[in-house]
Amino acid sequence: MTTFTALLSHYRRHPWQGAALALLMLLATTLWTGIHHLTSEARASLGQSERAVEARHQVQRIDGAVLTVEDFVSLRRQGLCLMPWLEVLPEGESRRVIGVDPLAALCFQRQGDVASFDGQPLRGDPFLDIADAAALPARQSQLFLIVAPNTGVLPEAYRITSFSLAPDTGQLGDSFLLNLDALSVLVLLITGLLLRSVYLLSLSQRRDSFALLNRFGVPVRRVRWHLVAELVCLALLTLIPGILLGQLLANGLAGGFASVMEGLFDSRQFATSGNNWLVPTVVMMALLLLVCAADWLIPDKLRKASVFVIRSGLLALLFIVVGTGGVWLAPNLLWLFVSVALGLAGAGLLMPWCLSALSSRMSRASHQPLRRWWWAEFGVLCRRLALPLVALQLALAMVLAVQALVTTFEATFDHWLGQRLSADYYLEVPTGADAEIAAHWLTQNLPATSGARWHRVLRGQGRIGLDSQSRSVDVFALAPVGSLVTEWDLIEQTEQPWQQLAAGHGVMLNEQLAYRQGLAAGDQIQLELAGQSMSVPVLGIYPDYGRPAGEVLMAGDLLPDDFSVAFESFSISPGSVGIETITEALAGIWQQPALTLRDNRSIRDLANRVFDQTFMLTRAMTLLTLALAAVALLLMGWVFLATRLWYFRLLEVWGLERAAIFLRLLTLALAVSLSAAVLALPVGVGLTWVLVQRINPLAFGWSLPMELYPGFWLELLALALVIGVCIALLMRRQLGRPAVRPSVTGTVTGEER
Amino acid sequence: MRPGWLAVWLCVWLTAGCSGPEHEAGFAGLADNVQALDGFEQPAPGDLLVFPDDFGPHPAHRIEWWYLTANLQTEAGEPLGLQWTQFRQSIEPRALDAERPEPSTWPLQAAWMAHAAVSYQGQHWFQERLARGDLGQAGAVAEPFKVWLDHWQMNASDRPDHWQLAVSQGQPGKDNHWAFDLALNNQGQPVAHGDNGFSAKSGSGEGSMYFSLVNLEVTGTVTLAGEQLKVHGKAWFDREWSSQFLKAGQQGWDWFALHLDSGDKLMVFRLREEGGHYQSGTWIPRSGAPVALAPDQLRLEPGDGSGGVPTRWRLQVPAQGVDLELVAPEGDYTNDGLFPYWESPVSVLGSHSGVGYMELTGYGD
Repeated sequence: MTTFTALLSHYRRHPWQGAALALLMLLATTLWTGIHHLTSEARASLGQSERAVEARHQVQRIDGAVLTVEDFVSLRRQGLCLMPWLEVLPEGESRRVIGVDPLAALCFQRQGDVASFDGQPLRGDPFLDIADAAALPARQSQLFLIVAPNTGVLPEAYRITSFSLAPDTGQLGDSFLLNLDALSVLVLLITGLLLRSVYLLSLSQRRDSFALLNRFGVPVRRVRWHLVAELVCLALLTLIPGILLGQLLANGLAGGFASVMEGLFDSRQFATSGNNWLVPTVVMMALLLLVCAADWLIPDKLRKASVFVIRSGLLALLFIVVGTGGVWLAPNLLWLFVSVALGLAGAGLLMPWCLSALSSRMSRASHQPLRRWWWAEFGVLCRRLALPLVALQLALAMVLAVQALVTTFEATFDHWLGQRLSADYYLEVPTGADAEIAAHWLTQNLPATSGARWHRVLRGQGRIGLDSQSRSVDVFALAPVGSLVTEWDLIEQTEQPWQQLAAGHGVMLNEQLAYRQGLAAGDQIQLELAGQSMSVPVLGIYPDYGRPAGEVLMAGDLLPDDFSVAFESFSISPGSVGIETITEALAGIWQQPALTLRDNRSIRDLANRVFDQTFMLTRAMTLLTLALAAVALLLMGWVFLATRLWYFRLLEVWGLERAAIFLRLLTLALAVSLSAAVLALPVGVGLTWVLVQRINPLAFGWSLPMELYPGFWLELLALALVIGVCIALLMRRQLGRPAVRPSVTGTVTGEER
Repeated sequence: MRPGWLAVWLCVWLTAGCSGPEHEAGFAGLADNVQALDGFEQPAPGDLLVFPDDFGPHPAHRIEWWYLTANLQTEAGEPLGLQWTQFRQSIEPRALDAERPEPSTWPLQAAWMAHAAVSYQGQHWFQERLARGDLGQAGAVAEPFKVWLDHWQMNASDRPDHWQLAVSQGQPGKDNHWAFDLALNNQGQPVAHGDNGFSAKSGSGEGSMYFSLVNLEVTGTVTLAGEQLKVHGKAWFDREWSSQFLKAGQQGWDWFALHLDSGDKLMVFRLREEGGHYQSGTWIPRSGAPVALAPDQLRLEPGDGSGGVPTRWRLQVPAQGVDLELVAPEGDYTNDGLFPYWESPVSVLGSHSGVGYMELTGYGD
């Protein structure tokens, strides 16, 4: 028998242990591969989608006239790269189709074929060949000319404006990806803890075998190398199916992500093809070797010294203090992530230490022998199951944080979209048209009894601050400040902010501007508009997600007469009047054959669909992580408690009924799993706070409201109880079997008395 | 003459993609029989060329192209090769005098594709543009002669027999910008290939109408990477149209147009098909009438290659005492568009010296 086969014989004697290690590795690889695959695909897809949106600027005529095919031809003949985009709302249909010319789109450097657009077949979902779209009997039809970025100088009769198909989700996408990245790092950490715990357990149970091999003259170093070889073999056996399962998992979840992308960009963007196996293989192999061979990397002397000199409790506190301080003060995301990692490591170290200290104190304080035994046994369990318990604690904390984040995201964005798209329609004022006359018509013809609400939006640029410190801001002026905006939720506000705003007694700032300038409601700011300087109070701070630009909201009356309006529109909820009546009247007033009208409800529906699906995906991934941690604790608890069986039997010898022993076993298992869950709560709350209040402001300049969801805490505690009950039930089966008295007192196995 | 291969591909693509299943004619469907013409007219032996009308479009035919290659020299004497081609691909046949569809309907009765390429110092610049017909974005007119797609344009200038060709790609001043602006002076009569202009493309009779202007003197400027080069040299201009160009099973196309220093010109092509090939050509002496070369009157053999593309060839026309070696310069001259193919200048060695152009299709994936 060679050394290697001698080592492997352990698994022949304890096949379940080998199976447990393999199963954990398989599950961990599956999970991490799945998340990694999904993250990289999500990144690629979002990038693709952003490029698609980025390219969309449109050409408009300066005279406000409707664009025609002649404009297209004339501009193309001048060497400009643009493509026609014909939006048609067919008669009897509620969904628009978009006519495109794939031949003209070729100059956008879109690689593909002329029979599709952005990889999307021209079958009317929503893209059609422009000739087919033009031939449809249409309720509405409007030609846009989409121009490639940096295409050159336009003739004087034309100008370029932005053209968006959907809300700008660039930053939301980035934020989502950042969360996915953080999630995959956390999953890797949890996976490492689980792998190490199983490995240490199996290692300690093989110490007798190692000692025997030593006595037969096999050097320690050789045994270690064989262990490494064994690990590599095991890894190879489990990694491949793990990676395959991970890809299956990702592809399963990817369906959801694909719909997200399709919903958002009306285009199939998500490519699930491609074999993304190399990174997971290397990462999991490295992780396995690192967590299993970590002890060998640290010199014995140092390891022993650190164990004896620094008590884990103190180390944990130090990590937590430094980590928390770092989270407060981190100047950038990198330091923030390092601080979070330190904080989590501290929390992980602190938990076993706390529980162990608690058990020692309670055990000493108790005079009742069985209670004393119970506390002592609880301490042993907490110490010996420390790693899987910490993994469960972190997994629970992560689930809690992600759940809070996702629920907050959903609620906030839904609310925010409701605010921002509160009007049913959005009507662009054509260049050169007089918005005053239109406003007058709307005042006269949309009586309050009709249920109609509207306001005029004027956008331009101003400066905030003084002299060299001043910076450019977007100006967002409303006239009148009506009920379409006064229901907005404000982050901070002074007294009666909307009335004050309507009266022109101040302005409001978006959150990112207030954050960057360190401004709060009630502060006085210096604003420069069209060369005129004014000092105005900040009446409120409003949330403005998804874009970085600073913005000042004010009443239109506050704008100087010579303020240069870059863009003007009306937000209209027509009530019983009907939008067709309004557009016909305004088209007549402005003498325009057609107006640019956007249906906000469809944009809102689209955005809501996107967020629902995105967050469902995030939730699914965190729950899978939790499932992995639970399975690990279950396995570990089962294997470990089996080694304590002999001590439980002693209780029977002392005269305790088996049912009473089971009851104690049950309470022990429940106490251990519940402890992990209870201690996960503060970590989870902290993590939530970091995600919404620290990471987002640092990355994007806006934060989300910090919301806690105690109902979900109860669900998590209940889940922990279920895990405890499962462990106890598994042990109940074991109680009926004969148990062997442990012969050697180890530090990792269950021989601690 | 040669870009039929591309045009056929484009046709299959457009019909499959843009027009629905009823038009999904496969490659073979184009050449199976006369019924597959779907109302398009097909050239036949006995058809004659009509000038200047045949410089303009033939909407009753399915495919046609205007094609120019030029072997130029810079002021420093460095060789520079240049190509401009514009294809028209009909999806529906239409009589020349029929009413055009309304542009506001964005009709797709025909699609246009333009290619431009410059080969200089081992580098190759290539760009492709596409447009639908009948909008005004692309088109061709016989008199005064004009062919255009977007701002790329070849047109007659105010002097007789003088044309202008202007192509510009990218934004002037930017790194990606390249352009050429050439004056062309035609110094000869159109050369009708084959049987008075009907050029057979297989043994079973499929073919096209095909003529060339082989004596075009060129002067102008070529702008590459911000550098403006004055150039001069000679160009070769082809006009060709058909509705059933290739026979099913033909795999690719090798085509050569040569300016020999003796003043003679030579065009040969070879269509590769399973178990052999069909070849033909035209010998255009410096003086005297052009001589159509029957398949057995020339030998064209590929030699060494690069990346699977034969870049050295041996060409023999025994009756004319021609035994040539044709060599492409070092470099990759693939026109990497929707349908990649090789288009490079060649040096002529052997019994005669000279320059020319070579186009090879069907060697890649």
